[in-house]
Amino acid sequence: MTHRSIFSGAPAIHHDAARRLFLRHSSAMSLLAGAGAPLALNLLAAGSAAAQSATDYRAIVCLFMFGGNDAYNMILPTDSATWAAYTATRNQAPSSIALLPPGTAPNLAADAGSPARLGGVLPITPINPQGRTYALHPLLGSLQSMFDTERRLAIVPNIGPLVAPTTKAQYDQSSHPKPARLFSHNDQQSTWQTMQPEGAASGWGGRMADLVASSNKKAVFTAISAAGSAVWLSGQKVRQYQVSGTGPLRMGSDSSGLVYGSSAVANALTSISGSALGSHVHEADMAAVSQRSVAAELDLRNALRPASDAAFGTAPASGSYNPNNDPKLQYVNPLTGSATFNSLAQQLQVVARLVQAGMAGATGTSRQIFFVSLGGFDTHSDQNDRQPDLLARVAQAMRYFDTALGAINARNAVTTFTASDFGRTFTSNGDGTDHGWGSHHFVMGGAVRGGDLYGAFPTLVARNPSTNEFDGSPDQLRNGALLPTTSVDQLGATLGRWFGLSDTQALQVFPNLANFNAGVRNLGFMA
Amino acid sequence: MKLGHVRLLLPLIAVCFATDWAAAQSVASFTVVNADTGADIATFTSVGTVSIVSTPRINIRANASSVKSVIFTDGSSTRTENTAPYAYKGNNGAIYNKWAPTAGTYVINAKPYAGSNGSGTAGTMATLKLTVAGAPTPPSPPPTSQARNEAARFLAQATFGPTDADINRVMSIGQSAWIDEQFATPRNATHQAYFEATDSSGDNAESRVMDSFWKQALTGPDQLRQRMAFAMSQIFVLSFVDSVVDNDDRAVAAWLDMLGEEGFGNYRRLLERVSLNPIMGIYLSHIANQKADPATGRVPDENYAREVMQLFSIGLVELNQDGSPRKGSNGALLETYTPTDVSGLAKVFTGWSWACPDWPDKDCFLRGSNNDRSDPDRGLKPMVAYPAYHSTEAKTFLGTTIPAQSQSDAAASLRVALDRLATHPNVGPFIGRQLIQRFTTSNPSPAYVSAVAAAFANNGSGVRGDLKAVLKAVLMHPEARVVGDTSGKVREPVLRLSAFLRAFPHQSSSGKFVIRNTDSPGTALGQTPLRSPSVFNFYRPGYVAPGTQSAARGLVAPELQIANETSAAGYVNFMRDNISAGAGASAGSSLGSRDLKGDYSAELALATDVPALVERVTARLTYGAIGTARRTEIVNAVNAIAIPGSGSSSTQIEEAKRKRVNAAVLLTVATPEFVVMK
Repeated sequence: MTHRSIFSGAPAIHHDAARRLFLRHSSAMSLLAGAGAPLALNLLAAGSAAAQSATDYRAIVCLFMFGGNDAYNMILPTDSATWAAYTATRNQAPSSIALLPPGTAPNLAADAGSPARLGGVLPITPINPQGRTYALHPLLGSLQSMFDTERRLAIVPNIGPLVAPTTKAQYDQSSHPKPARLFSHNDQQSTWQTMQPEGAASGWGGRMADLVASSNKKAVFTAISAAGSAVWLSGQKVRQYQVSGTGPLRMGSDSSGLVYGSSAVANALTSISGSALGSHVHEADMAAVSQRSVAAELDLRNALRPASDAAFGTAPASGSYNPNNDPKLQYVNPLTGSATFNSLAQQLQVVARLVQAGMAGATGTSRQIFFVSLGGFDTHSDQNDRQPDLLARVAQAMRYFDTALGAINARNAVTTFTASDFGRTFTSNGDGTDHGWGSHHFVMGGAVRGGDLYGAFPTLVARNPSTNEFDGSPDQLRNGALLPTTSVDQLGATLGRWFGLSDTQALQVFPNLANFNAGVRNLGFMA
Repeated sequence: MKLGHVRLLLPLIAVCFATDWAAAQSVASFTVVNADTGADIATFTSVGTVSIVSTPRINIRANASSVKSVIFTDGSSTRTENTAPYAYKGNNGAIYNKWAPTAGTYVINAKPYAGSNGSGTAGTMATLKLTVAGAPTPPSPPPTSQARNEAARFLAQATFGPTDADINRVMSIGQSAWIDEQFATPRNATHQAYFEATDSSGDNAESRVMDSFWKQALTGPDQLRQRMAFAMSQIFVLSFVDSVVDNDDRAVAAWLDMLGEEGFGNYRRLLERVSLNPIMGIYLSHIANQKADPATGRVPDENYAREVMQLFSIGLVELNQDGSPRKGSNGALLETYTPTDVSGLAKVFTGWSWACPDWPDKDCFLRGSNNDRSDPDRGLKPMVAYPAYHSTEAKTFLGTTIPAQSQSDAAASLRVALDRLATHPNVGPFIGRQLIQRFTTSNPSPAYVSAVAAAFANNGSGVRGDLKAVLKAVLMHPEARVVGDTSGKVREPVLRLSAFLRAFPHQSSSGKFVIRNTDSPGTALGQTPLRSPSVFNFYRPGYVAPGTQSAARGLVAPELQIANETSAAGYVNFMRDNISAGAGASAGSSLGSRDLKGDYSAELALATDVPALVERVTARLTYGAIGTARRTEIVNAVNAIAIPGSGSSSTQIEEAKRKRVNAAVLLTVATPEFVVMK
């Protein structure tokens, strides 16, 4: 395996090279320790191997925004030409969805959720701004400082599923390979997670874990969803384990191990629900789910610190912990102004508890992948009532998670990325937007080279009124939807390198990666 | 299959070796199958031993290749089998005839032939020497007849769960006549009427729709209609989870009524009522959708145009009538529409909005009211056309063009569009396959889908889209009656609960059937009727569950999409309390005050005869799917609950009996045999 063949062309180094090497050393160990590696690096690799069980813990978290987030209103170029095009396109009757310029004071009399009520967008200053200026949605304040000051947040602009690099001219050629069933929710959810439309049996998270998490002693805890089923987590061997926001649930019995007062019934219950006697496939599959449920709960019962632990939550003054009342899991609902329970934060709470247990060696894992999600992003209408509320939850949940990871000294070990079905159209239908393709996304973590853009920020123009097309931009298709310039394969391979994938393994996990030049396969956002 | 069946007396138990090595016809091995379930037990080439302790009724399949017939001989009889599976004791499709051998050794010969009825080239005769070990006396036959189990299994597919009365009715008049009788059964009352009658009950509006759903599901005589409406609600999805939908709950009650009416009606009319329903207009955002504004660049909302094609009519790829995807010359699937088709069809769905007294006023269009005047029944009435807002541009989609209109004519545009969709060849296989999945099996064969698509195309009287004919084709297809390793489907959580509640008839003490929100996978079902998380339903028809046996076999399993470690524990715990304390919401915090109480008197009468108790409970819930081995597991656990002896109070004795009943029911609803309807 040769590191260079794929990854030698990583973008310019943004940070101190020594720090980067230090943070990267364990993932690079298998590469560097080979014949011909400098002696010092061999020693570094050896030291890393010795310390592996204690410190070499890494986790990747996928935060999926179901429905197709309107990234055009999440991360905005504010240079004057783009801003004029943006405003002209999105300020439509009856409800403008064009956010207002930086510095605009909120108009407290305006409709809840409206751009005027929210106030101006929040400027951010990327290290390499590509000659433009940028801002975040007005409710992403907690991410503004994470990007600008703490530098634990990076932006990947105009990313989406691609089979190969694709120009606008190629998009119109049926012979040019493109992802199947673009613009379809379920299929693009699947494509983001697997590179295939609905029906795929494995995702790239699980496929990475197949290769780098095989040493996990408890395979069941390799891939964990705190939301619903997510094919991203499934590999050839790795299977998803689903945990509720409050932690694992015990089947049947009370704390004394009894059902209806009987231990025999309790034992029979778990045994019967977890065993298929015949050869029916669905019976076997349902029994397997029950069996894992029971076994995993037994393993986790004493491994997790409680949600009320100060690192994760707020212990109640009296009585038992109620997540709905924990201020750490609340965001300010922009429509009502009141503190409201944030289910996304609760999902990340159980992830943080599992990370803590993983780092402490309590779950027998050194590599884990997690999936959390929030739905409702399909803002065809009433976008002003819907998206601000959702982004407020995302911002609070991400900041909460970063803080919790800080409290358990796990920031450098955990990398979180956002994903969504697709981006949306640049055009407005009067109060919302339609299905698009490319989108902008965040990557967050202590090992992330934050504060910068990884990939070209797209050119956004106003519609050409004579053709009704966005033909002034090489990046915009019909209705101004983005043609991605960075692929999900590249994002995944960059994360995968940090997670421990070799070059060859990255090409196995990401089937389209080989179609991209070796120089761009690593986006460079991981230190 | 039933075939030439000739009895001969042969002089010897022979092991014959034919020498025709040139023939390709062969019997490679024998598989002993469980004749009660159709499941394979073991495969042998020449010698083998099986136990009949847990599988008293077996059959033997000759695994033959390149043959048209196999002749079995055993020294006392001969059987000629002309179609696979080639079964020693015969079979009807996938249902094996039952052979209950006593312990001993049996020699069975199978000779393959290239032609039917032992004609053509003969292959090598194969011989199995089978030792049958185990119980010297065969167990007592199941107390419920096979016919009764068959009727119950059919009703588990066609209703919210079999009851004694329905089973008796099906056994009396047959499945086909029962379906016809159901088609003619009027409903007790509409959901809308229930909703209106409970207006002053103080209950939350959404809850009253749920209550009506459960009342009808559990007690309605028109079970097939209600079940069809529930199935339709998972194809034409509208969800209370959308807070704006939840603003007009009476209209959602009426929506469910509409699905019950049109579910027995015609697809074209159903599609129109769905498309013009104002609550669907809210859910998929085509209400108050405006034509493009060329001056500003505003475009029509494309949401409904896309989803009506993807989900409600034709789907994403061109289909053959058997449901398989058509493929282009390069082997690629053929997508049914492009973004341009979506944009073209989106223009059709402009200019539609609320019925309103001041129509066609602008505020009526945008908000359904003008100067505080609105139609109080606007949620019940179809959307109406507002000419000023309907696109007059030419509208091109799916190879059809509606020419530019000099004066906008939204009704004409809609008629052309819905005709185009409803006549698309995809509709029969696309909607038909999903109905099969909702009622009988997740993985219908191409022949099954073809039969249903054919019923969609023509009900026998030249009518396309007759949903009664489609539904009858779904329920009556022979494949729906077959039990095999991949037959049937995972029972969705709502149907597990309803089957349990109907198996032990439950009364609602409030009369309201207060089950309500069962969304939580950790403490309830992870599924509530009319509360899908999105228009893509609780699960996808094409869902493949990664890492499962079904995935390895190339099978889909929609319901597995909501089956996970949390819901597995949550379901069992939810049922534990439903059984012991009654189902549904409590009036207070005590489990004892729950609204729905089951009638377990027949089970309590058997509490001191645990095998009989377990027989009864498993039969009522699984219709013969639970075998002896599983019953023994349950019996042993229930027996561990002791009935206190003399000197105990009658209360103590009754409590112990009730615990036994509870345990028998809980252990049964936790079995994979109940959770999966094979």
